Amino acid sequence: MNNTYFDLLDYMIYGTAILIILIGLYGALVKKSLIKIVIGLSVVDSGVNLLIVAIGYLKGGTAPIFSPGYLANPIKMVDPVPQALVLTAIVIGFGVTAVALALVIRLYRHHGTLNIDEIKDLKW
Amino acid sequence: MVGTPVLFIVIPLLAAFLIPLLGMLWKELVRIVPGLVLAYMLVLSVNLLNHVLIYGPIVEVIAGWRPPLGINLVFSAFSGFLVTLVVFMGLLIWVYSYRFKRNVDFEPAKKYFLLLMMLITGSVGIILTGDIFNMFVFIEITGISGYALTAFYTGRDSAEASFKYLMLGSIASTFLLLAIMIIYSQVGTLNMADIASKMHTIKPVYKIISFIFFITAIGIEAEIFPLNGWAPDAYTEAPGPVGAAFAGIVVKASVYAIVRYVYTIFDLSGAYDFLILIGLITLIMAETAAIRQERLKRMLAYSSIGQMGLVMVAFGMGTEEGVFAALFMILNHAIIKSLLFFSGSYLVYNSKHKYIKEVNGMSKYLPITSLLFALGAFAIVGLPPFAGFWSKLSMLTAAADSNMLFIIALVLIVSVVELVYYLRVVNRIYFFNKEEKTEPKKPTFNALIVMITLGALILVIGFYPDAITGILHKASADLMDKGQYIHDVLSLNK
Amino acid sequence: MKKIIVIILLGTLGFYTAHTFFDIGFGFPHFEHGIKDVYLQKTVSDLKVSNTVTSIVVNFRGFDTLGEVTVLFLAVTALGGILYKRRHEVGERSVLFSASSIVTSGSKLLFPAIILLGVYVFIHGHLSPGGGFQGGTIIATGFLLMLLTYENYSVNHTVLSLVESLAGIAFAGIGLLGFMHGGTFLQNFIEPGVLNNLFSGGVIPIIYIMVGFKVGAELTGVIYTVLHEKG
Repeated sequence: MNNTYFDLLDYMIYGTAILIILIGLYGALVKKSLIKIVIGLSVVDSGVNLLIVAIGYLKGGTAPIFSPGYLANPIKMVDPVPQALVLTAIVIGFGVTAVALALVIRLYRHHGTLNIDEIKDLKW
Repeated sequence: MVGTPVLFIVIPLLAAFLIPLLGMLWKELVRIVPGLVLAYMLVLSVNLLNHVLIYGPIVEVIAGWRPPLGINLVFSAFSGFLVTLVVFMGLLIWVYSYRFKRNVDFEPAKKYFLLLMMLITGSVGIILTGDIFNMFVFIEITGISGYALTAFYTGRDSAEASFKYLMLGSIASTFLLLAIMIIYSQVGTLNMADIASKMHTIKPVYKIISFIFFITAIGIEAEIFPLNGWAPDAYTEAPGPVGAAFAGIVVKASVYAIVRYVYTIFDLSGAYDFLILIGLITLIMAETAAIRQERLKRMLAYSSIGQMGLVMVAFGMGTEEGVFAALFMILNHAIIKSLLFFSGSYLVYNSKHKYIKEVNGMSKYLPITSLLFALGAFAIVGLPPFAGFWSKLSMLTAAADSNMLFIIALVLIVSVVELVYYLRVVNRIYFFNKEEKTEPKKPTFNALIVMITLGALILVIGFYPDAITGILHKASADLMDKGQYIHDVLSLNK
Repeated sequence: MKKIIVIILLGTLGFYTAHTFFDIGFGFPHFEHGIKDVYLQKTVSDLKVSNTVTSIVVNFRGFDTLGEVTVLFLAVTALGGILYKRRHEVGERSVLFSASSIVTSGSKLLFPAIILLGVYVFIHGHLSPGGGFQGGTIIATGFLLMLLTYENYSVNHTVLSLVESLAGIAFAGIGLLGFMHGGTFLQNFIEPGVLNNLFSGGVIPIIYIMVGFKVGAELTGVIYTVLHEKG
């Protein structure tokens, strides 16, 4: 099952997804600007979603859609479950990001700044 | 049978979608409808719990697909007991806040009641669901409602507390998804019972990694030690009833999730010791922090975290007595800590920073509230004849049965510490002269009713613990029987 | 100092995550008796829905989708609650410079096409890639375009919340109808019809259309709320 020619590529897809997660987490934990923190969190979401879809991938697989006109063989289809889960995860990620941005607007309204060093209660 | 478990989710959702429309008709409806829904849920859960205690668990199938294909809800003695507790606390919180939010504009009031109802529904969903991804969805429902409720008051620094909570919650959901996907990639199913029956086929290293991801994720909601940075701020900044809702409802649901994973899904033997370890660390850190607090609500928050650590330790014993003690403590903690939050928020009602010294001499102005606070304080420390005594006693006997003497010693030391910092507050209420700046605020009628109900419950459980122990024994036996759970869910698959 | 701690933490996290996923492997089936094979088989034989992802999202795991729709609804509610201001404090939208006539007439031309595309995507959710969430998002981008181009363009808030609520009630209501007809919540109680027809799949397209309306209204509401926020 394991095709040795494509090993590097295999590593790259998971590797990229995990790297995106790490970059996002770094941004969320280290950056000083609230907006950048929120961007970091949504970058993390993207990385996780990529990782989830990659788990369901099948080499040479087709989309899990039984349309007329092309060979629809269930055995050759990629796993549809992670795709359905990712749909849910994306929507939830959107909801959380929207709430986060609303909070950022509130904080800006209150303190007139986006720098977390100047908002004393945000440090821990 | 009067209803099915799915109504616990569908009725509040329908009501939530309806509330904006009802608000256009008559503004008072947005306050009343959530209460009606919660009352209905309470009736439903009591009925179902009675049914379940006699006839065995109900497994509800959704969309006509038997597990493991579809999502299922499990209403057993264990989950049913927690659902009843959560819904009961939710109803009390609604009654408490019904008039408490009178002075607020219509739009925020509508959102407050809607979000409070969804916070409770999300927690009920976490407890009922039999599917790990569905649990993730409910955790997010609870989370988003929680963020919004924390930021409810625009005047205070609530946005900061909420942002902290949101950041940790967002990272938690990332970890939860990773844990779910590692499990899915190995067994190809998301149903808890199915995963549990296939757990032995997973490589141990995957099990451990996904377990760590999972505990990190839920630990944030359940206020486990290094991950509870959000909790004291959120408890302080959120409206009083919301603090009680976090302590009485959300944390309970998260602890349920951890317990379900440790007892049913994963078969890691080290997981129990791990629970004891994190429970002990949480307990020690929280209690030492609580004794240093200057603000009342922060002190209550740390005390709440400490109690959850104790519950974690009790679950970590892995024996039926341990589970019994843990459930008893969950019940008592929900009742007593809510009472403390309710009465405490009236003791420091008009103060900006909620310092402990501002409760000085309040007993002359708010006699009933002060008395109830003192009752709650004595009960949570575990003095006889109040409710907390029996749960601490069952904890001690469970620890003695498992030969864990260090736990006994620690529980006793912690009780002394708790006694010190709670007595300090009670002492100030009764024997100090009132500070000049503080203005006492009389509790509203509804708040008084709620507090007296909780106080009465503490006394009832304190004098007749047998009233509740029967259910608790059945619930703990239900949790211990993993094979039965798997069988109940998967035997539908014919 | 903080950076170093974070980098060490993230390095550990990354190492173990990467190690686990590299070990799991990529591009081949990882398990044998998973639920996905049953899904792929039943979506054709029982549900007559050609897009398997749709049948999972709306029917097999429809309960998740109900929760997901609720999350969106709560996010909109939370947004309104967090950003609430009393009537007299609400500011006008601030615009740096108005759009040129090329942009305005172009947007006018594009808007119906975008809406049509969105509707197409969510009506055909059970046949082709796409569905309620995707279609609803496309519709919301149409409104975003109009809101960005015309500074006075306004969306009726009452209509938005009406659409939101009614679509949500319809989703849960269809679920309850299934409960009455078939005995389980969200049961597919309408005859599924013929595979690959527009009218196939029983209640699945109906639910997905409701989701489309709901998502479109909610995302538009989010954009509208945030646009009318003055720093």
